[in-house]
Formats: sequence, C-alpha cells, structure tokens
Amino acid sequence: MNNKVPLKLTVNGGTFDIEVEPRWLLSDVLRHQLGLVGTHVGCEQGACGACTVLIDGKPERSCLTFAIQVEGQQITTVEGLTQDENLTPLQEAFSEHHALQCGYCTPGMLLTATALLQQDPHPSELKVREAISGNVCRCTGYQFIVDAILAASGNAKEDQR
Amino acid sequence: MTEQAMRPQFMGARVKRVEDPRLLTGQARYLDDIDVPGMLEVAFVRSPYPSARITGMDLNAVKSAPGVRAVLTFDDCPILLWQKDTYQVGQPVLAHNEVRYVGEPVVAVVAEDRYQAEDAAELAVVHYESMEPVLDMEQSIAELPRRVHADASNVFYHKEYTTQGFAEAFAQASHHLTATFRTTRQTAVTMEPRGTAAMPDPASGRMTVYASTQSPHRIRGDLAELLGWPENQIRVIVPEVGGGFGMKANTYPEDVVVVWAARHLGKPVKWVSDRTESLLSDVHARDDIHEVEVAYQEDGRIIAIRDHLMADGGAYPAYPFSGAVGETSLASRVLTGPYQIPFIETVIDCTYSNKTPLGAYRGVWGPIASFVQEGIVDRVARSLGQDPAEVRRINMIRPDQFPFRNAAGMIYDAGSYGESMEEALRLIGYKDFRDRQSVLRAQGRYRGIGISVFVEPTAMASSEAGSVGYESVFIRVEPTGKVTAAMGLGPTGQGHETTMAQLIADQVGVNLEDVVILHGDTDSAPFGGGTGGSRSGPIGGGAALVAGREMRQRLVKLASHLLEAAEEDIELGHGQAWVAGVPDRAITIRQLAEIAYTHVKRIPPGMPIGLELVARYQPQQSVSFSNGTHIAEVEVDPVTGLVQVLNYVVVNDCGRLINPLIVEGQIHGGVAQGIGSAFLESLQYGSDGQLLTTSLSDYLLPEATDVPRITTKHLVTPSAGEGGIKGMGEGSLIGAPAALVGAVSDALAPFHVMVDRLPVTPDDVIEWVTSRV
Repeated sequence: MNNKVPLKLTVNGGTFDIEVEPRWLLSDVLRHQLGLVGTHVGCEQGACGACTVLIDGKPERSCLTFAIQVEGQQITTVEGLTQDENLTPLQEAFSEHHALQCGYCTPGMLLTATALLQQDPHPSELKVREAISGNVCRCTGYQFIVDAILAASGNAKEDQR
Repeated sequence: MTEQAMRPQFMGARVKRVEDPRLLTGQARYLDDIDVPGMLEVAFVRSPYPSARITGMDLNAVKSAPGVRAVLTFDDCPILLWQKDTYQVGQPVLAHNEVRYVGEPVVAVVAEDRYQAEDAAELAVVHYESMEPVLDMEQSIAELPRRVHADASNVFYHKEYTTQGFAEAFAQASHHLTATFRTTRQTAVTMEPRGTAAMPDPASGRMTVYASTQSPHRIRGDLAELLGWPENQIRVIVPEVGGGFGMKANTYPEDVVVVWAARHLGKPVKWVSDRTESLLSDVHARDDIHEVEVAYQEDGRIIAIRDHLMADGGAYPAYPFSGAVGETSLASRVLTGPYQIPFIETVIDCTYSNKTPLGAYRGVWGPIASFVQEGIVDRVARSLGQDPAEVRRINMIRPDQFPFRNAAGMIYDAGSYGESMEEALRLIGYKDFRDRQSVLRAQGRYRGIGISVFVEPTAMASSEAGSVGYESVFIRVEPTGKVTAAMGLGPTGQGHETTMAQLIADQVGVNLEDVVILHGDTDSAPFGGGTGGSRSGPIGGGAALVAGREMRQRLVKLASHLLEAAEEDIELGHGQAWVAGVPDRAITIRQLAEIAYTHVKRIPPGMPIGLELVARYQPQQSVSFSNGTHIAEVEVDPVTGLVQVLNYVVVNDCGRLINPLIVEGQIHGGVAQGIGSAFLESLQYGSDGQLLTTSLSDYLLPEATDVPRITTKHLVTPSAGEGGIKGMGEGSLIGAPAALVGAVSDALAPFHVMVDRLPVTPDDVIEWVTSRV
C-alpha cells in the first residue's frame, strides 16, 4: 500500500507539493502532512462537523473528502482565518460571548459561521441555528455560539440572558 | 483606593477566558496533535462477540503486514485492572481466553502509522466459541442465564438502608402508589475521542505519558501500580482535552497497553480512538431501574419512599471505580432531593452483564435520582388532583431547617430551594400557563410544563475523579513579579486557567494577565485529585484562595519591613504594596520580588528567601449542596411523537460565583445534554448482545436547532467553605432530564401518560397516545 501520487494542494493561500496515498483523507493530510492540526477529527463519519474546512468558500467535511479530490481548489482551515496577530471579529465575538469551552468543535464552528456570514451578513437567529446544526458542540448548549455569531453580524440579541 | 483594593476585583467578574485565543486560532494541541519522529500508532482488534471463549488465534498475517512493528496479546502484556481482591474479577487489558463484551480489546497492533495498523488489524484471525450472553439486569440478579464471571456472583454490590421507623410510617400513610423508572444506557461522547501517547526517554529512563484525562495524578498512580514501576519514573502530561464529562476520569485498558508497548519497543507509541471504538469502549452510563413504592397523605405530604435500585455495571467494574455503584449508592442517599420526606428504605443491586463497563457521565447518579424524585412528586400531585407546584411547596425543606439531615442521613448546608422554584415559576409565566394550556388543548395541541427542583452534592471528600478530599496549589511570585501557580486539576473545557487566576490575582494583588496557571503535568503540579464531581471550583478554588492569601501574607510582611510600617497597615493591589492612607509610601510587587530573590540581605530575619510555597485546602464539611430549579415548557405532537422544547428557565444557586459567564456556559451545556438524555441519546443493544448504535448517525446528539434559548438567573447562598464557593459542573444535567420529561407527562395528561423512562422517543409517545385514548 505505498502507491503515492503527487498532489498540489492550495491551503490558506499557499501551495503545497506533496505525495499522498489516494485513500488518505483530506483531514489526515492537512493534519499529519501539512501540520495544520487546527482541523479536528471528531467522528470520521461526517456526522459531527468538527473537521469542517472551506473548499472554494463552502463548508465541507474534510473527513469525507480524499485529499486528491480537491487539487486546484482553495482550501481554508482555521489557521487561515487569522491573517495577522489579531483575532477576526468573529473569533473576538466567540471569546467575548464565551462561545467555546473545550474548543474541539470550535474551528469547524468558526468556518461554518464564516461561510454563513459571507453568504448572509445579517442572518436571523433561526438561520444561524440551522447553519450550524451540522456542527455538534457537546459543551456550550449553543446559546453563546449563536450569540457570538449574531454579534459578529451586527444582529446582537438584546437581553439575551 | 483602600476600599477598592480590598474588594475582589476579579472574583465574580464576567472575565473573558485566557484559554480562548489559542483555541480560536487552531493553535491548541490536543492528544492526536502530539507527533514526534518515529512515533508508532496502535490499532486494536476488538471482540465482535458479547460472550465467547477464544479457542485460537492466527496472527501471522498481521505480523508480516507492511509497517507492523509488534502484535500484542494478553500473553505479551499480562496485566489485570483491579487486583483480584476488590471485586473478585480482574479485567485483562487484552482479553484472556474469554471475551465479555463487544468492543473488548483482544489484540493490539503497533505499526508505523494508523492506516497500516488498521490494515494489519483486519488480517487478524481470532477463533471464538460463542456463549449465551447475560443481557438483562433483573435476570442477572438471579444468576440467569449464567454467571458473567464463573468465579463471582453476578451481583457485585448489594446494600440496604432503612430509616428507623420506616415500616410503621409507610403502613400508616393514607395513600400509596408504585412506579418503575428505567434509564437507557447513554454515554458522554466527548467531541475529542479518548487517546494516549507514551514516550520513553532513554537518557533518564523515565516515561512521559500524554493522556487525555481528567485525573493526571491518578492515572500516574494507576500506571505505576499496574506496571510495577516507581511513580517518579512516570511523568503524565495532559494536553488540551476536548471534553471529559466524567468519561475521561477512568484508566482504561488501552492506556496501559500503549504505555507497556512504548517501554518494550523503546519507541514513542500513540493510540487515538475512532468514534466507533468510542461508542463501544468509552464507559457507558445510566443503565438503571428503580422500583419505587411511595406512601403519602391526602394533603400531598410524602411520608416514605421504598426503592429497589438496580444498575447494570457491564462486564467489569470500570477501573478504578464502578459507575453502577456510583449511580446507585449516591442516588439512594439523595433520593428525597429538596423535599423533607422523612422515611426511606433502599435496596441496591449492581450486576455484571456482557455489555461495556459502566462508568461516570456528568451528574452520575443525579439525573437518575432527580428523574425518580420529581416523577414521584408529579405522580402524587396527579393522583390527588393537585397542582404539581403546590405539592412541591408542601414538601419543600424550609430555610429554617438548615442544616438539614435527610432521610438517608446526608447533611444539607443552606440553599434556596423554595425561592429558586418560585423565581423559576415567575420567569416561565406559570400563573397564566394553565389557562394557555387548556386553550391549546381544546385546539388539539399538547403543551406541558415540567418542574425540577434539584440538589447537587459538590466538593465531596471523594468523587469519581478525586481520590482525595483536598486540593493543592504550588504558587510562585517570579523574580519579575509575575505569578505562576501549578495545580493537579484536569480541566476539559471549564476554563480553570481563567477562574483560578481570577482568585489568585485578587489575593496577590496583581492583574489577571500577570498570573499563569499550570495544570496537567505531574512534574510541575503538586499531588491533586483532578477534575470531576464538581470539585474543582469549591476545592481547587478554595486552594487557590488559600495559596494566594499565604503569598499575600508573605508580600505584606516583606513590604512592612521595607516600608517601615505595621503589617496591618499594608495594602496590596494593582501590582503594588503601599501604606494605608499614604499611597506615596509604596513599593511594586516586582521590586518586592527582586528583593526576595536577589537582594536577599534586605529580607527581614526569619523570612525565607524567594517567594514560593505550596498550600493545601480541605473543606471542613464533607459536602456542600448547590441547588436550583429547572422548568421546561414543551409541546408534544401526538401524531409524529416529536417533542419541541419551547421555553427553558434555570434558577441556579452555586454559592458565590467566580465567573458568571463560565457558570452560565456550564448551565447551557448541561441543559443541552439533558435534552439529549431526555429525548435523543440511547445506546441500544440487540437481543444478541451487539451494540447497534456505533456511529453518531445512530447515537443522536442535540444540535443547535434542538436546544431553545435558556433563561438563567443566579441566586447566591454561600457555602461555609473558602470563598463561599459551591460546585456546579453537574447540576444542570442533574436537573434537566426531570424537567423535560415531566413536561411531557404534563402535556400528555389527557392521555393519562406519566413518563417512566429516559429517553422518551417518538415511538414511545405514539404508543402512549394511541393505546390510552
């Protein structure tokens, strides 16, 4: 099982020439070949959303994608959200609203929410909940995540406690 | 200025967490992110049978598969969890002659990477001779169809308790009812699966173990004992942990195998669970039956409860504590909850079966006992035609009764039981609810309200994680005036780096960003009990306060000498010490530290060089009770059987709050888990003993659209312990399931439904409404 093939991956604006086995998952290649361990693996069954990355701007499960499937496409991981030292407004809102506890689902949640806000800058609470319903969080009960996303969109809920 | 400095600046504040930036930018390092050159990876061959004899193995193909470095069986690694004397059974870390549950590790394959390890594991041939599995709890008590362990009774824990005078009081009551309550197996499902990595250091001969655990010192002790190594040869490092919820408080067979393999191969070795393995082999929880008889009076006063508590502990007691014993023994002692029910009689039976071992999941006994306790109150109310809130009022422990000794002898410190319920009723709009309910019922819509008034014993002398009733803090003011403190806690998302820093910063008089909390490294932390049983806030926080105060005294003494003022006149805050009323006579903490470490001739006689100390804190009370009330409003669709949670209110009292933001996050998360417990989560075994729910498409977790907006309010009844802090990590999951299924019972009252199980599925609802019209 050592039939590696060359692959040119575009991740967070950079290009990587690597060799992969065709069966290697994008999540494994990002994590173990490129060292981008901010992409987390929660179920390898596509159910939990922890491994979510953006492929050409759309949130996708990197655990259900082979690395060789995405040659030539733009991949964004959580490491690519922060271009400088500071947090993005969405990341800042997550901290401000205590939208994370153990942090394991957080990268996938941020990427899903980033795509949502790009597509709909002012979503309703219901739309936010539907958008993140494919990302399971076991710690927060989602309320503060929803608050953070709404705050980043400028649609902050009044008296939310 | 004086007054301002004396007041806590950080305790009680909604402080943003210091953990967040690394977690938000993908820079945190969890167990699977640890990778070193030459690291090998493990895949386990697991039992496909619930009960079978191993008659032979052919592992030659595995051994010659590409990349394989070692193939291990029990013969290579003959280690038993439990010394045989505790429960008469010792769980082999790899199955020995016999398998006793589906998912039990049988063979460990160590290869150059996980893909190769799994490829090779598929080539293993293990010959089994299947035996009839033990799957039913009540049959197991009768040793049917057979014993799980030939040399041990299926009942591995039996206990009885009776309040004096029970029989007379029970007989004399005017009303009696019976009910059976069942909970189906559930499990914690941390988003980060379990994992272990071990790295031998050839230079020192020591072993570094990376463990995704809640209890760093306990797992070090367990490994030392099981492997027969001196514990100072093992360093446990806990990296970022992606959730624990009690499930990561155990030492598991895989942990031992990984460490053993690293030592014997002389290489770093890692294993990370995949999700199917997690659902098969993480400890399960909540497999209980309560057979209850209740005696009560015409006015709603509950006089006595008799309960036969049964729990299916699985094939082995989880190491080193059995969840079945934890779920039943404490449930039996707090079964009367916040009510002054004077008499109780309990019988506990914990049994073996051919299922995954039962361990801890957040709340352990609590969600079950609250479900039983509130189910009893609701049944009494309905049988008498009384308002459920009114029956709770009649039975509630009154404020003048604290400290209250309950029917099982537990002592409750002061709480806000009645007040929390009244406040929650007000917030949910209970006064108008019955009118709204009857209007909707006339339209064929079924709404209901469920009330759950809970008690949460916290900071107990021992808990699932805590082998000890105290906690320790090593604190050092560095030569530059920055503060470093190390603790033996095992946070899994609770934000201890923030909350413990808040407490210490106030005491030492520095800013929050000047305090760094270290945890999860047995080389830096003093011995501690880890995180679990809602102990880190009250006991760990108490230790942080004591350590901070002792360091403060040290700084005051030094400042008083240098500023030539009496110690009682020295104030400390904002990074400096000054003489009260004379703010110009001041010295910075940085200057004090510099003197303490380098200009040591200026230290007063009798004071030690440097600024470091270890402090320990053990609460005087053996337990402190948090309390609160959850009220859920739901609508049940009798056609689809689906339950929608419309409104949810929590009034919570955990004493003094360290950080309300974090407390509310804990509450929201527990309520969401309660929605899972009440309506979604169920580990289903087939009649052949196969676990059928081995993916997250089968074992359903609450999603953002399943959880309503939760209204929370805090009441504050301080504990007598340090800082007035009570624990609160579990209360939200203790209270929630009872409120949620109570609301279903209320909604379906026209169908005479009283929920008797967790979870309630759409099929259950449809069956109830169609069979009882």
